[in-house]
Amino acid sequence: MNNFNIILFACNWGPHTAFQTLQDNGAEIPPEVKMVRIPCTGRISKALLFKAFEMGADGVVLAGCRPGACRYGSGTDIAEKNTEDTREILELLDLKKERLRFATFFPDDSDALLKFLNDFCNEIRLLGPSPVVATRKSDLKNSNKKQGLNKKEVAEVISIHDIYACQDCGKCTSACPLALMGKPFSPRMIASSIIAGDIDSPSVKENIWACLTCGLCYDRCPSAVNFPEFIRDIRRLLRKSHLEGHETHGGFFQSLMRTLTSPKLKTKHWEWLPADIRWDPQSKVLFFGGCAPYFDIFFRNHLGVQTSNALSDSLRLLNFFDIKPAILQDERCCGHDLLWSGDQENFLKLAKLNVSAIHRRGIEEVITTCPECYRTLKHDYARYGVEINFKVTHIYELLEREIDKGAVGFKKIDKKLTFQDSCRLSRLEQQADWPRNLISRLKPDQFREMQDSGSAAICCGNCAWTGCDSFSKALQVKRLRQAHDTESDILVTSCPKCQIHLRCAMEDPFLGEELNITMMDLTSIIAKTICWE
Amino acid sequence: MINAQDEHRRTKEIILTGFGGQGIILAGRILGEAAALGDHRESTFIQSYGPESRGGACSAQVIVSDDIIHYPYVKHPDILICMSQVGYEKFIGTMKPNGILLIDQDLVHPRSKKQDFFSIPATRMAEELGHKMMANIIMLGFLTAVTKVVSLSAAQKAVSKSVPEGTKEINIHAFNRGCDYGQAKLKGRAKKAIGQTGAIL
Repeated sequence: MNNFNIILFACNWGPHTAFQTLQDNGAEIPPEVKMVRIPCTGRISKALLFKAFEMGADGVVLAGCRPGACRYGSGTDIAEKNTEDTREILELLDLKKERLRFATFFPDDSDALLKFLNDFCNEIRLLGPSPVVATRKSDLKNSNKKQGLNKKEVAEVISIHDIYACQDCGKCTSACPLALMGKPFSPRMIASSIIAGDIDSPSVKENIWACLTCGLCYDRCPSAVNFPEFIRDIRRLLRKSHLEGHETHGGFFQSLMRTLTSPKLKTKHWEWLPADIRWDPQSKVLFFGGCAPYFDIFFRNHLGVQTSNALSDSLRLLNFFDIKPAILQDERCCGHDLLWSGDQENFLKLAKLNVSAIHRRGIEEVITTCPECYRTLKHDYARYGVEINFKVTHIYELLEREIDKGAVGFKKIDKKLTFQDSCRLSRLEQQADWPRNLISRLKPDQFREMQDSGSAAICCGNCAWTGCDSFSKALQVKRLRQAHDTESDILVTSCPKCQIHLRCAMEDPFLGEELNITMMDLTSIIAKTICWE
Repeated sequence: MINAQDEHRRTKEIILTGFGGQGIILAGRILGEAAALGDHRESTFIQSYGPESRGGACSAQVIVSDDIIHYPYVKHPDILICMSQVGYEKFIGTMKPNGILLIDQDLVHPRSKKQDFFSIPATRMAEELGHKMMANIIMLGFLTAVTKVVSLSAAQKAVSKSVPEGTKEINIHAFNRGCDYGQAKLKGRAKKAIGQTGAIL
């Protein structure tokens, strides 16, 4: 017996039959293999595959039926794609893609299955144990106790955010994009229910996870009740009492972020970086990229977004101004999504790991292009007790400063542009002018704002990979129609998530054609057109 | 014995020209002061007064050198700064063959396509800063960055000493704007020379 953990997901129809034959015959199945019988490999999503690694698996096998033998038709194909995507993400994390395999067997392939399992176990032994600290183990143990919500803590959150200041006027609900889409959702109702001690009511519990935390209600509130932060802290309390959140994509991204809290894990975050980009490990200026490379792999078969372009084009723009920044080869997620989906414990782990990695390199200034990383690094780390001794600059600030020095021009773009604000930059950070000042320097055929813009802009429909539903979709459809009303060719974005979420609405089989519009990150447009005069 | 070429290298003869009222004379004086008091070199300064100072062409002549300057008038400038078309027309013919021409790009349109020059929208930038009359200080910053005829710190010191009380900060800001523009311009030229005009290579 050894300490390795190998999970075998075996499809009920082919591989499981073969596995049973092995058991019947008393074959020596490697002891580290734990078999999980599943109805079809096509139903094992990327999130489920990855969750095994988050929970401490050293290797995972997804065993399905031979091509053409799938009882449900498409299972094998889907499983193959899911495995391939997850393998690439493992590779980016430097967890090694060899730890995950997809294999197919006929019911009478028991000898082949045994040989496969032996070979795989040998390979994993050579790779050694996974560097991932199984973050969920302790959680799972505690969950048996099932402690209820601590009333004192709820009262504390209410008083910190001064929810009593709510005048019940309803401005928040009338501004809330979800309520405007017809969802029975009301910030003031949630606030008053929680004050009244009704936090356990089903409607509150559901709506806590539906809030986009986009901040429009806070923007409009005459009493300055910071509803998004209130929701964030209530989520933290709910999470503590082990009520699952409504995570999207099967919780894949939360799993990914929790996995990144393992100190021994050294990622290969920048391996994909194009060769023309120059960087300098000695530099005191650091470029912090964010999770776009993971998104692009995860969504490549569905949405086909290329959000990493914003990262490479930001670096190209820095190079253009002779800034060669340092990059963290083993960069981790900033933790924004964990914080906003209630997992403060793991957010803090990420924050500490990131800050110590940045401090160790003596970095004086961190430049980000992702609005979420900017907000989190600049404000939330310190607020949650992780002090930083470096300056955080958004790439728009830096570009404005450099372009303003002069001698820089822009080539004409024979396209019409409109702009999708990011909630983190335009509202929570109140910097809607930054992207606009840059856009005003460009030379497009036309720039026209959408009906709702700047600090009043409508959200892309989701935040922190939590609580996506049909109202989110309706919101995206509305936003894209607003974009089309400007008669623009390109919808300029500033956050990778806006691109992902709006692209999702464009995949709609009925409305897709009508909604389709090219999207491009602002940094990419600048990088394509900027030139020395 | 110093040969003629060394002499030539160490001495820079400069003409600043523009309309009366643009602050050409003040810019010339600051330049000379920066060289003498800041950089501890020799400098002379001649201002042309006359009907010009009532709105016509006006000019200042500055010589900066490491050696004693025997004759303060400039016949053939190494550096010519033009802030008006009339000034440009009047002096462009006198510039040395390898001289450096600096112009305000909105006020001066060079006739010759062959003549290389450095341009800056100094007056426009001054207007954006809220004070049109600071165009001369912006030009001075540009001149310092592009030609390095005086050191940056000496020029900044001379600017803050010469401008009216209470406007020091904004004038230094204007000077730095011009200087940044000049440095960006030089960087852009260097990049263009190696074929990197845009961000995507």
